[in-house]
Amino acid sequence: MKFLVCLKQVPDSTVRVKVAADGKSIATDGITWSISPYDEYAIELALEHKDGDPSTTVSVVTVGPARSRDALRQALAMGCDDATLVTAADTVGGLDVAKALAAVVKEAKPDVVLCGKQASDDDQGLVGPALAEALGWPHVGMLTKIAAVADGVELWREIEGGHEVWTAPTPVVGLVHKSAKEPRYPSLPGIMKAKKKEIPEKDLAALGVTPGAPRAEVVAMEPPPQRGGGKILKADGDVKALAAELARLLHEEAKVL
Amino acid sequence: MATTTEAATGFDLALTEEQELAQRTARDFAREKVLPRAREIDEQGKVPRELIAEMASLGFLGIYVPETYGGAGLDALSYALVSEEINRACASTGVVMSSHVSLVVDPLLHYGSDAQKDRFLRALATGERLGCFALSEPASGSDAAAMRTSARRDGDAWMLNGTKNFITNGASADIAVVFAQTQPDGGSTGGSERAKARHRGIAAFIVEKGTPGFSVGKLEHKLGIRGSDTAQLLFQDCRVPAANLLGGAGEGFKIALSTLDGGRISIAAQAVGIARACLEDSLAYAKEREAFGKKIVEFQAIQWKLADMATEIDAARLLVWRAATLKDRGEDHILAAAQAKLFASDVAVRAARECVQIFGGYGYLTDFPAERHYRDAKITEIYEGTSEIMNLVIAEEILKE
Repeated sequence: MKFLVCLKQVPDSTVRVKVAADGKSIATDGITWSISPYDEYAIELALEHKDGDPSTTVSVVTVGPARSRDALRQALAMGCDDATLVTAADTVGGLDVAKALAAVVKEAKPDVVLCGKQASDDDQGLVGPALAEALGWPHVGMLTKIAAVADGVELWREIEGGHEVWTAPTPVVGLVHKSAKEPRYPSLPGIMKAKKKEIPEKDLAALGVTPGAPRAEVVAMEPPPQRGGGKILKADGDVKALAAELARLLHEEAKVL
Repeated sequence: MATTTEAATGFDLALTEEQELAQRTARDFAREKVLPRAREIDEQGKVPRELIAEMASLGFLGIYVPETYGGAGLDALSYALVSEEINRACASTGVVMSSHVSLVVDPLLHYGSDAQKDRFLRALATGERLGCFALSEPASGSDAAAMRTSARRDGDAWMLNGTKNFITNGASADIAVVFAQTQPDGGSTGGSERAKARHRGIAAFIVEKGTPGFSVGKLEHKLGIRGSDTAQLLFQDCRVPAANLLGGAGEGFKIALSTLDGGRISIAAQAVGIARACLEDSLAYAKEREAFGKKIVEFQAIQWKLADMATEIDAARLLVWRAATLKDRGEDHILAAAQAKLFASDVAVRAARECVQIFGGYGYLTDFPAERHYRDAKITEIYEGTSEIMNLVIAEEILKE
């Protein structure tokens, strides 16, 4: 089976995010970038398939700025077979990203396209469904497991209190929620194998995509408000008075009673 | 002489893409898999075998061994980067790795015959088998040439007799590199001519666990790096096939010294890792802990400690990177490695002392990591050449000219 995993490079989850001077984006100077966590799960699901069936191929693709190459290199080091970088400005919208990915998919002809269910930076969850729509393929979300069956794939979805099992013909787009195992680390031998692989680069124009004006725009970003300090009531013997004061504060200041 | 006064020994501080990825894998693995278990490893006195197996599967146990022998094919600098990360999380786990890589994999890579590489190096580089390095003895540490363990030729084998002491990984290793005196009177003390003869008689042997006559003696109880086992190894009429002689019969002393020269880089990297743990833990604590109505990090007394630690750690890391870079270039790194180890171990011990001090009373409790760093840091001034031996090596190198 042939997998194509679409990934996005996002600020690492350990980065302490700060709002940039423009007030509507985050400061990216010197931050660590990573593969978005749900995309890592998608890679892991595909690689688990490859572990079980070595004839499986796993390709990865991303649409993003040049620094995204590092994320692809990391995916190759995890064990993916090949990678494609579609260079595009950070500001290109989800719909145009989906169109570019659709063009890559049409060329690569995978059986299964996997995306993380959403990227951890803007959490829009737009690209996966838009890609399926652009391709005219079925898509199933919240996946935790994929198994090959006679004429397609069996897809496990996480739902409240359990899971559903769906079947779908291939080709299909799957949106991944989690893998059973934590995504593997790139091993050192994997890193050296990845080093030897070329990562071809394409731009949007080559894929016939002209980015449109953004349909939605971030107008402002602000950090969550600072939490105020707690208040400690001194117990100086009169428990009754203390309880009365606590009740008063909860009612008048905290307004929870 | 490798000093920074010569432009030729300057080096590029930018890491290659694969060095960065290796560092990142090690950092993520250390933070997610090693750090949460560091306290348990220290308390139970054991690095779990499955953790070692996981390091093996990531390629940490054969980092700079060529791929043809099952290694990852990276370089000494990558090894230093990985060492720093693992030791940032747990020095016990770090020393299990570095004893194996620096002291067993390395001499096999450099001095092993093709047959020995096929037979032993591959299994060691993939981590299928764990190694230990047996040089020290009850009565000889720094003065390694005074060893009493003997090797007597016996047909197509060597008969080993003696006791090795302070052997890291001694109990858990599957393969030991053992040094022994092949000249009957070599072990006795005497004048300088005798001393030279002693060096010439030393040979290195690859001895497999399970070889009759080879057994593990008592396990030591240590101040720090308690998760790594330190054992006495006993050899009683232990017959080692002649094919297991590493290098020539008179090459043992040279093998031991050159192995330790390289090994010092990873101990220096370990010291940097421990010192970084001290700084990072101190920073986190000082930002939380309040005294006299403010966070203690706002007091200059604390800030100066943190600033000194940060500066010294950076300086130590630069020495480590330089030594590793020289090793990668195949240049003489004896001086650079000794300087890195001398300085970095001193930095680690001082950083650990300040870390305990910043934590105050809590620093003295096993509930917090400071006291573990304090106990772990000290060994870096002792093993693989004490600070005094480092000074000796450095003085010898700078007096050469």
